[in-house]
Amino acid sequence: MNILSSLIIISVAALIHASFQLSVSMLTLLSSHTIGKKRSHSRLILLTNAFAIGAGVMTMLLLSFTALLFSYLLNSASSYMLAWTISCGILVGVGISVWMFYYRKQSGTTLWVPRNAARFLTQRTRATKQSAEAFSLGLTSIVGELLFIAAPIIVTALVLIELPVIWQLTGIALYTVVSLGSILIVNGLIGSGHSISRIQKWRENNKSFLQFSAGTGLLVLGCYVYVEQVVTETAMAAARAL
Amino acid sequence: MNVQSTGVIKRSGSRSAEAFAQDKLHSSILSACLSVKSPEGEAETIAKIVSDLVNTWRQGRHAVTSHDLRRVAAKHLTHLHPEAAYLYQHHQLVL
Repeated sequence: MNILSSLIIISVAALIHASFQLSVSMLTLLSSHTIGKKRSHSRLILLTNAFAIGAGVMTMLLLSFTALLFSYLLNSASSYMLAWTISCGILVGVGISVWMFYYRKQSGTTLWVPRNAARFLTQRTRATKQSAEAFSLGLTSIVGELLFIAAPIIVTALVLIELPVIWQLTGIALYTVVSLGSILIVNGLIGSGHSISRIQKWRENNKSFLQFSAGTGLLVLGCYVYVEQVVTETAMAAARAL
Repeated sequence: MNVQSTGVIKRSGSRSAEAFAQDKLHSSILSACLSVKSPEGEAETIAKIVSDLVNTWRQGRHAVTSHDLRRVAAKHLTHLHPEAAYLYQHHQLVL
């Protein structure tokens, strides 16, 4: 795989990550409660920025950790091929799960998150006053979404360990920035004074599209990676053996 | 001033009913109005009107659910400030 196609796969995986909505929901709640409690605009900006930085740091740590783990574990061509095959299965499985379960079938943008966990996160978001708390909340939002973001992170980590070191750092930075896209857009809208209810209404009206695109993105990426990394590599190995 | 105490049954049903508190309702409506950048004076007025209307509605009822209170408050709030009403109704449906 050349560097350009590696970076394209990383970008697509990061875009799929960005389409998951737990962090955006928590950011919307955090902003809504902060404004509703008559806190200043500068406090709002401080909290939402701390949240976004927290989410970015956790994404970077998770991706780096997964890549490091793979670089230790996958030390032969066959184990590498096996990892790619498993990751393709995970991508397809998670893609179908996103289609079926990601949003609950009720009004609002209620996610798959268990109700007790959702209540806890809502209470923590409501109680957040300090930037350090908002930072931790950003970290938590990424961990909370791990069930779904694990798939794009695994694929990105597998791509990263094949790249030269400088491109590995570029890949991590690219993934982190692109995966934060939705948080940064909502953060920018809130910071520039857009109404929270309009943002929430847009999210509610387009939730089916977001769900469909995230699920489809995972399936397409899974199929592409299977053909590129498993079928092609196996065929080339077989041709070399002849 | 509450004419007669009304028990409020929580959504989960796990906790015992607590007495209706108009100030609590007032502050939640005020918070919803402020969240959509409504001016403070307007938000105070709307919160007062809606909480008074809900207080009138709940009088004569021995017990109501928190869902009922939210529904009735949202109905009145929709006439006065639709955007705030949307946020008020949906704040538990974001996550």
